[in-house]
Amino acid sequence: MYPELKKLGVDVLSVSTDSKFSHKIWDETELEKMVEGGIPFPMLSDQGGQIGTLYGVYDEDSGTELRGRFIMDPDGVIQAMEVLTPPVGRNTEELLRQVQAFQLVRESGGKEATPSGWTPGEPTLKPSPSMVGKVWEVWKP
Amino acid sequence: MPEARVGKEAPDFKSAAYIRGKGFKEVKLSDYRGKWLVLCFYPGDFTFV
Repeated sequence: MYPELKKLGVDVLSVSTDSKFSHKIWDETELEKMVEGGIPFPMLSDQGGQIGTLYGVYDEDSGTELRGRFIMDPDGVIQAMEVLTPPVGRNTEELLRQVQAFQLVRESGGKEATPSGWTPGEPTLKPSPSMVGKVWEVWKP
Repeated sequence: MPEARVGKEAPDFKSAAYIRGKGFKEVKLSDYRGKWLVLCFYPGDFTFV
């Protein structure tokens, strides 16, 4: 997934409560066998969970982070967040779709919006007073 | 108290990090201003999901 994000000009940071030393060993002993060249983005160490607490994803009972994912725009504004409990993994396709949708909206200067289920290449909505009650004309799910 | 909300500025932080090929560095969220960023939390190294 990282190459696709890179193509869209998106940087990635991962965070867990493990030490930076643990990150290095995990990358060198296991991850590089799963991902060619190892992990290409910074792996942050949040020992104590201060960052996770700030983002509402630190679980004090287990001392670990939940699966929280945040998309931030170039102004540093959070545009999307998703938080899962640990046993369920994420869907990177949905992450890519959301990034592309938020980038499109930003590039349009807020003049366009993407309807439910939109994927890149499909028509967008251009919200205006004249469109009220006529969304059905341009968007048929 | 969690501060992270959609539509609001992301709370800044700095953190120790491991960066492959560069070793151990400090990373600040504000270093990424001007770029799209995905911040991903996960429960722990050496887990399976």
